[in-house]
Amino acid sequence: MKVSYYPGCSLESIGKSYDHSTREVCRALGVELEEAHDWVCCGSSAGLKMNKLVSTALSGLNLAVFEKREPSDVVAPCPFCYRRLASAQEEMRQDPKLKGEVQELIEAELSGKLQVHNLVDFLRRKVGLEAIAAKLKKPLAGLKVVPYYGCFMVKPRQVTGCENPENPTSMDEILRALGAEVLDWDFKTECCGASLTASKTGKVVELTGRIVREAAFRGADAIVVACQLCQANLDMRQGEVGKQDQREYQLPIVYFTQLMGLAFGIAPAALGLNHHLVDPVALLEKKGLIG
Amino acid sequence: MIRMTGAAAEKDFSSRVIEESGQNLLACLQCGKCSGGCPISSEEVGGPRRLIAEILYGSKRQALEDPTWWYCVACGTCMTRCPVEINMYAVATALAEMAEREGIAPSEPDIHLFEELFLKSVERYGRAKELKVGVSFNLRTRQPFKDLAAGMAMMKKGMISPLDFLKGGRSDERVARIFSRAHRKAGEQP
Repeated sequence: MKVSYYPGCSLESIGKSYDHSTREVCRALGVELEEAHDWVCCGSSAGLKMNKLVSTALSGLNLAVFEKREPSDVVAPCPFCYRRLASAQEEMRQDPKLKGEVQELIEAELSGKLQVHNLVDFLRRKVGLEAIAAKLKKPLAGLKVVPYYGCFMVKPRQVTGCENPENPTSMDEILRALGAEVLDWDFKTECCGASLTASKTGKVVELTGRIVREAAFRGADAIVVACQLCQANLDMRQGEVGKQDQREYQLPIVYFTQLMGLAFGIAPAALGLNHHLVDPVALLEKKGLIG
Repeated sequence: MIRMTGAAAEKDFSSRVIEESGQNLLACLQCGKCSGGCPISSEEVGGPRRLIAEILYGSKRQALEDPTWWYCVACGTCMTRCPVEINMYAVATALAEMAEREGIAPSEPDIHLFEELFLKSVERYGRAKELKVGVSFNLRTRQPFKDLAAGMAMMKKGMISPLDFLKGGRSDERVARIFSRAHRKAGEQP
C-alpha cells in the first residue's frame, strides 16, 4: 500500500521520535510512505485563529502538493495537521468563493478528491488489526497503559467524522492487539492545553495535571499518545505538576507507534524511546519488554 | 432570551459575526454545555456561552476584548457537545480578524505575541521553527530563563537538537506569497 505522508513541522523537531517510529512501523507493515518534500506548515492553531484565508490557503497549498502525486490517500501523524488538511478541503467544497480565493493565492487548481487520514485511524482501519497482529513478535504482556487521544484527532465530530469523539476506541484496539493491558479512564480526549504551553504555562500545568493525576490514580504504567504536542506537554510539565502535589510522578509518555514498533521487535533506539524526559526505557526493561 | 434588540450598530456587529463565522449564533440555547466542557473556561475566562451572549446582545467592545477567544485552542469540545452544533473556533477567527481590523489592543497580549511570532516564522521559512519561536517569545516577554531547564534536559536526551534553535533554512516563496496576497486582499500593507 502506498500513501502520501505529511509529517508536519513538529515532527522535524520535538516530535522526531514520532516521525521515526511511524516510519519504522509502516515499513514493517508494508505501508510505503511517500513524502512530498515540498509540504508547508498548516499554520497550526495560530493561523486558524488569526487569519482564515491564510490558514485555508496554507492547507490548500498542501492539498495541491499531494494532489500532484499518485496516492489519493494522505496520512498525517500530527492531529492538527490532519484536521486542518481535512477541514480545509471540506470548507472549500462547501464554499466555492473561498476555494476561488485560495486557488488564486496558491496559483493552483484543486480537485478536492483526497482522502485525508490521521495515523491512528489509518492503521486501525486501512491496515487493520489482523495485519498488525500478524507482525507481533514481542507481545506487551503486563504493560498497563491508558490511551490518550487528545482533541484534534477526534473533535469536533462534524469535522473529524469520528463516530464517538467522547470515547474513541481505535487506539485502545491497536494496543490490545499488541497484548497491552488497556485501562479504563475518563480523560481520553480532555485537552492538554496545546499551544498555550508557552504563553499560559500555568493553564497547561493545570490541564496536564488533571490528566497525569488520573492516569496515576488508575495505576497506569504509561500514557500512550498520538500527538507530539500532547507528548511534550505531558512529559515536560509533569515535574511542575509533581511540585504542586508534593509527589513525584514518573509516568512515561510514549507514542502508540513506539509501542507498536517494540511489539514488532524493532530496536528501542530506532523508535526514539531514549529521547523522552520521563524515561520509558527503565520501565520497559523492568517489564521485560526491552533487553 | 431577548435577541437583536440593540441599536443599529449593535445589530450590525452581531450579524457580521454570524456572517463571517458562518455560525448561526441565533440558534444558541444558552444551555452552557460548551462552557461546562471548555478546557479554558474559568473564573477569569468567561467561556463560549458568555461570549455568545455578548455577541447576541451586540456588546461589541466586550466581545472583542473577551479573553475566551484568545485562550481558545480550537479543541472542538464545545462544537462536539453543542445541541445546535455551533463551531466556536470559527467564531474566534471572526472576532480575531475583526479586532485586528478595528485596531483593538489584544486583551491577552502574551497569547497574541506567541501566535504572531509563530505566524512570522511560518511566513519567513514556510515551516514553523517552534523552538526558535519559543526562545523569541521568552526573550520578548523578558523571561529568558523560562523552561530553560526543560530545554536543556530535552537536548541532553536528544529529543531536540541545539541546531533546532539556530537553523532557519531557506524561505519558501509560495508561502511568502500567500501571506503578502492575503494582506493585500485585506487592504493592509504587505
